[in-house]
Amino acid sequence: MKLDPAIRDQVLAAVPSLRAFAISLCGHVDRADDLVQETLLRALAHIDSFEPGTNMPAWLFTILRNLFRSEYRKRRREVEDADGRYAETLKSHPEQTGRVEFTEFRAALAKLPSDQREALILVGASGFSYEEAAAICGCAVGTIKSRVNRARTRLADLLAIDSVDDFGPDRPTRAVLAGSGRS
Amino acid sequence: MTTGKPVNMEPPPAEADKPEDRDAMDKPVTQRREVRLGREVQARIGQQLRAMYDDVVKEGVPQHIGDLVRRLSEQDDGAE
Repeated sequence: MKLDPAIRDQVLAAVPSLRAFAISLCGHVDRADDLVQETLLRALAHIDSFEPGTNMPAWLFTILRNLFRSEYRKRRREVEDADGRYAETLKSHPEQTGRVEFTEFRAALAKLPSDQREALILVGASGFSYEEAAAICGCAVGTIKSRVNRARTRLADLLAIDSVDDFGPDRPTRAVLAGSGRS
Repeated sequence: MTTGKPVNMEPPPAEADKPEDRDAMDKPVTQRREVRLGREVQARIGQQLRAMYDDVVKEGVPQHIGDLVRRLSEQDDGAE
Protein backbone atom coordinates (compact mmCIF):
# COMPACT_ATOMS: atom_id res chain seq x y z
CA MET A 1 0.00 0.00 0.00
CA LYS A 2 1.39 3.39 -0.93
CA LEU A 3 1.43 6.18 1.55
CA ASP A 4 -1.29 8.80 1.29
CA PRO A 5 0.46 11.88 -0.18
CA ALA A 6 -1.27 14.09 2.39
CA ILE A 7 0.28 12.05 5.19
CA ARG A 8 3.65 12.09 3.44
CA ASP A 9 3.47 15.88 3.21
CA GLN A 10 2.65 16.13 6.91
CA VAL A 11 5.72 14.04 7.66
CA LEU A 12 7.91 16.20 5.42
CA ALA A 13 6.52 19.38 6.94
CA ALA A 14 7.54 18.23 10.40
CA VAL A 15 11.13 17.37 9.38
CA PRO A 16 12.78 20.81 9.86
CA SER A 17 11.53 21.15 13.43
CA LEU A 18 12.22 17.49 14.15
CA ARG A 19 15.82 18.05 13.08
CA ALA A 20 16.17 21.13 15.25
CA PHE A 21 14.91 19.11 18.20
CA ALA A 22 17.26 16.23 17.38
CA ILE A 23 20.23 18.59 17.21
CA SER A 24 19.29 20.06 20.55
CA LEU A 25 19.18 16.56 22.05
CA CYS A 26 22.41 15.26 20.50
CA GLY A 27 24.41 18.44 20.19
CA HIS A 28 25.76 17.14 16.91
CA VAL A 29 24.35 17.60 13.42
CA ASP A 30 25.45 14.27 11.91
CA ARG A 31 24.19 12.20 14.79
CA ALA A 32 20.97 14.20 14.81
CA ASP A 33 20.40 13.50 11.11
CA ASP A 34 20.90 9.79 11.73
CA LEU A 35 18.37 9.99 14.51
CA VAL A 36 15.90 11.80 12.26
CA GLN A 37 16.34 9.18 9.53
CA GLU A 38 15.84 6.36 11.98
CA THR A 39 12.74 8.11 13.31
CA LEU A 40 11.28 8.47 9.83
CA LEU A 41 12.03 4.85 8.93
CA ARG A 42 10.28 3.71 12.05
CA ALA A 43 7.38 6.13 11.63
CA LEU A 44 6.71 5.14 8.03
CA ALA A 45 6.96 1.43 8.89
CA HIS A 46 4.29 1.96 11.54
CA ILE A 47 2.28 4.63 9.81
CA ASP A 48 -0.88 2.54 10.40
CA SER A 49 -0.64 3.38 14.07
CA PHE A 50 -0.85 7.08 13.27
CA GLU A 51 -4.43 8.30 13.53
CA PRO A 52 -5.09 10.72 10.66
CA GLY A 53 -6.21 14.09 11.94
CA THR A 54 -4.15 13.85 15.11
CA ASN A 55 -0.93 15.70 15.79
CA MET A 56 1.71 14.47 13.33
CA PRO A 57 4.61 16.53 14.72
CA ALA A 58 3.89 15.34 18.27
CA TRP A 59 3.76 11.74 17.04
CA LEU A 60 7.13 12.04 15.28
CA PHE A 61 8.74 13.89 18.20
CA THR A 62 7.60 11.09 20.53
CA ILE A 63 9.21 8.45 18.33
CA LEU A 64 12.41 10.44 18.03
CA ARG A 65 12.62 11.06 21.75
CA ASN A 66 12.04 7.39 22.55
CA LEU A 67 14.69 6.33 20.06
CA PHE A 68 17.13 8.81 21.51
CA ARG A 69 16.41 7.63 25.03
CA SER A 70 16.75 3.93 24.25
CA GLU A 71 19.92 4.55 22.30
CA TYR A 72 21.20 6.55 25.23
CA ARG A 73 20.43 3.70 27.64
CA LYS A 74 21.95 1.13 25.31
CA ARG A 75 25.17 3.05 24.88
CA ARG A 76 25.30 4.21 28.42
CA ARG A 77 28.96 3.40 28.80
CA GLU A 78 29.90 5.08 25.61
CA VAL A 79 27.92 8.21 26.27
CA GLU A 80 28.38 7.84 30.01
CA ASP A 81 28.42 11.52 30.50
CA ALA A 82 26.22 12.66 27.68
CA ASP A 83 26.05 16.20 28.96
CA GLY A 84 29.80 16.41 29.30
CA ARG A 85 30.29 15.09 25.78
CA TYR A 86 27.70 17.47 24.54
CA ALA A 87 29.60 20.34 26.11
CA GLU A 88 32.84 18.95 24.71
CA THR A 89 31.38 18.83 21.19
CA LEU A 90 30.42 22.46 21.52
CA LYS A 91 33.84 23.46 22.69
CA SER A 92 35.78 21.71 19.99
CA HIS A 93 33.41 22.16 17.06
CA PRO A 94 31.10 25.09 17.63
CA GLU A 95 30.44 25.18 13.90
CA GLN A 96 28.95 21.69 14.08
CA THR A 97 25.91 22.99 15.85
CA GLY A 98 25.39 26.35 14.24
CA ARG A 99 26.37 29.94 14.44
CA VAL A 100 29.16 30.98 16.74
CA GLU A 101 27.11 33.77 18.32
CA PHE A 102 25.04 31.15 20.14
CA THR A 103 28.10 29.54 21.69
CA GLU A 104 27.64 31.02 25.14
CA PHE A 105 23.97 30.17 25.12
CA ARG A 106 24.59 26.62 23.94
CA ALA A 107 27.22 26.11 26.60
CA ALA A 108 24.70 27.17 29.25
CA LEU A 109 22.03 24.95 27.70
CA ALA A 110 24.47 22.05 27.75
CA LYS A 111 24.81 22.39 31.51
CA LEU A 112 21.15 21.60 32.08
CA PRO A 113 20.04 18.08 32.93
CA SER A 114 18.73 16.51 29.71
CA ASP A 115 15.12 16.25 30.90
CA GLN A 116 15.03 19.97 31.64
CA ARG A 117 16.71 20.84 28.37
CA GLU A 118 14.26 18.81 26.35
CA ALA A 119 11.23 20.25 28.19
CA LEU A 120 12.46 23.81 27.66
CA ILE A 121 13.06 23.22 23.96
CA LEU A 122 9.72 21.51 23.31
CA VAL A 123 7.80 24.33 24.98
CA GLY A 124 10.05 27.31 24.33
CA ALA A 125 11.29 26.60 20.81
CA SER A 126 9.26 23.83 19.15
CA GLY A 127 6.07 25.59 20.20
CA PHE A 128 4.29 22.64 21.81
CA SER A 129 1.82 23.24 24.59
CA TYR A 130 2.66 21.96 28.05
CA GLU A 131 0.11 19.20 27.47
CA GLU A 132 1.69 18.15 24.16
CA ALA A 133 5.18 18.24 25.65
CA ALA A 134 3.97 16.07 28.53
CA ALA A 135 2.53 13.54 26.07
CA ILE A 136 5.80 13.52 24.09
CA CYS A 137 7.87 12.95 27.22
CA GLY A 138 5.42 10.51 28.76
CA CYS A 139 5.06 12.44 32.00
CA ALA A 140 2.58 14.64 33.84
CA VAL A 141 1.90 18.21 32.73
CA GLY A 142 3.04 19.43 36.15
CA THR A 143 6.36 17.68 35.67
CA ILE A 144 6.92 19.49 32.36
CA LYS A 145 6.02 22.81 33.96
CA SER A 146 8.46 22.33 36.78
CA ARG A 147 11.22 21.17 34.40
CA VAL A 148 10.70 24.22 32.20
CA ASN A 149 10.80 26.49 35.23
CA ARG A 150 13.92 24.94 36.61
CA ALA A 151 15.55 25.13 33.18
CA ARG A 152 14.72 28.82 32.82
CA THR A 153 15.91 29.65 36.32
CA ARG A 154 19.14 27.75 35.90
CA LEU A 155 19.82 29.30 32.48
CA ALA A 156 19.12 32.75 33.87
CA ASP A 157 21.62 32.12 36.65
CA LEU A 158 24.25 30.82 34.25
CA LEU A 159 23.81 33.64 31.75
CA ALA A 160 23.40 36.43 34.32
CA ILE A 161 26.48 35.39 36.22
CA ASP A 162 28.47 35.17 33.04
CA SER A 163 27.39 38.47 31.56
CA VAL A 164 26.89 40.81 34.50
CA ASP A 165 30.09 41.93 36.19
CA ASP A 166 28.57 44.52 38.48
CA PHE A 167 26.90 41.92 40.58
CA GLY A 168 29.26 42.58 43.44
CA PRO A 169 28.48 41.05 46.80
CA ASP A 170 25.22 39.58 45.51
CA ARG A 171 27.05 37.08 43.41
CA PRO A 172 28.14 34.57 46.09
CA THR A 173 24.66 34.77 47.58
CA ARG A 174 23.13 34.01 44.22
CA ALA A 175 25.51 31.14 43.67
CA VAL A 176 24.53 29.65 47.01
CA LEU A 177 20.85 30.11 46.25
CA ALA A 178 21.28 28.59 42.81
CA GLY A 179 22.94 25.56 44.28
CA SER A 180 20.33 24.79 46.92
CA GLY A 181 16.63 24.56 47.40
CA ARG A 182 15.80 23.29 43.95
CA SER A 183 15.64 19.59 43.58
CA MET B 1 3.10 23.30 16.73
CA THR B 2 6.12 24.66 14.99
CA THR B 3 7.15 27.63 12.98
CA GLY B 4 4.40 30.14 12.34
CA LYS B 5 2.77 29.64 15.72
CA PRO B 6 3.58 31.83 18.67
CA VAL B 7 5.90 30.12 21.05
CA ASN B 8 4.98 29.67 24.66
CA MET B 9 7.74 31.13 26.79
CA GLU B 10 5.42 32.30 29.53
CA PRO B 11 6.08 30.67 32.83
CA PRO B 12 3.24 28.36 33.77
CA PRO B 13 0.54 29.91 35.93
CA ALA B 14 0.82 29.93 39.71
CA GLU B 15 4.45 30.83 39.47
CA ALA B 16 6.26 32.30 42.41
CA ASP B 17 7.93 35.07 40.41
CA LYS B 18 4.65 36.78 39.49
CA PRO B 19 3.92 38.38 42.85
CA GLU B 20 7.60 39.11 43.20
CA ASP B 21 7.47 41.10 39.97
CA ARG B 22 4.39 42.96 41.06
CA ASP B 23 5.79 44.36 44.27
CA ALA B 24 9.25 44.85 42.83
CA MET B 25 8.92 48.62 43.22
CA ASP B 26 8.55 48.34 46.99
CA LYS B 27 11.87 46.60 47.30
CA PRO B 28 15.31 48.07 47.89
CA VAL B 29 17.14 49.18 44.76
CA THR B 30 19.46 46.16 44.57
CA GLN B 31 16.57 43.71 44.67
CA ARG B 32 14.61 45.74 42.18
CA ARG B 33 17.56 45.65 39.87
CA GLU B 34 17.80 41.93 40.29
CA VAL B 35 14.16 41.46 39.31
CA ARG B 36 14.62 43.64 36.24
CA LEU B 37 17.76 41.73 35.39
CA GLY B 38 15.91 38.45 35.80
CA ARG B 39 13.28 39.60 33.35
CA GLU B 40 15.81 40.79 30.80
CA VAL B 41 17.68 37.52 31.07
CA GLN B 42 14.45 35.54 30.65
CA ALA B 43 13.55 37.52 27.55
CA ARG B 44 17.02 36.89 26.17
CA ILE B 45 16.78 33.19 26.93
CA GLY B 46 13.51 32.89 25.02
CA GLN B 47 14.86 34.87 22.10
CA GLN B 48 18.14 32.96 21.85
CA LEU B 49 16.44 29.61 22.22
CA ARG B 50 14.11 30.37 19.32
CA ALA B 51 16.84 31.94 17.20
CA MET B 52 19.05 28.90 17.66
CA TYR B 53 16.22 26.51 16.89
CA ASP B 54 14.93 28.51 13.92
CA ASP B 55 18.41 28.57 12.45
CA VAL B 56 18.04 24.83 11.90
CA VAL B 57 14.36 24.99 10.93
CA LYS B 58 15.26 27.49 8.18
CA GLU B 59 17.52 24.90 6.59
CA GLY B 60 14.34 23.05 5.63
CA VAL B 61 14.38 19.39 4.66
CA PRO B 62 17.85 18.11 3.74
CA GLN B 63 17.89 16.51 0.30
CA HIS B 64 18.75 13.01 1.51
CA ILE B 65 15.98 13.03 4.11
CA GLY B 66 13.41 14.28 1.62
CA ASP B 67 14.48 11.58 -0.83
CA LEU B 68 14.20 8.93 1.86
CA VAL B 69 10.65 9.93 2.78
CA ARG B 70 9.56 10.07 -0.87
CA ARG B 71 11.15 6.72 -1.64
CA LEU B 72 9.60 5.02 1.37
CA SER B 73 6.20 6.47 0.69
CA GLU B 74 6.22 5.15 -2.88
CA GLN B 75 7.29 1.72 -1.90
CA ASP B 76 4.94 -1.17 -1.30
CA ASP B 77 5.37 -1.98 2.36
CA GLY B 78 3.68 -5.36 2.19
CA ALA B 79 1.20 -4.44 4.89
CA GLU B 80 -2.38 -3.64 4.18
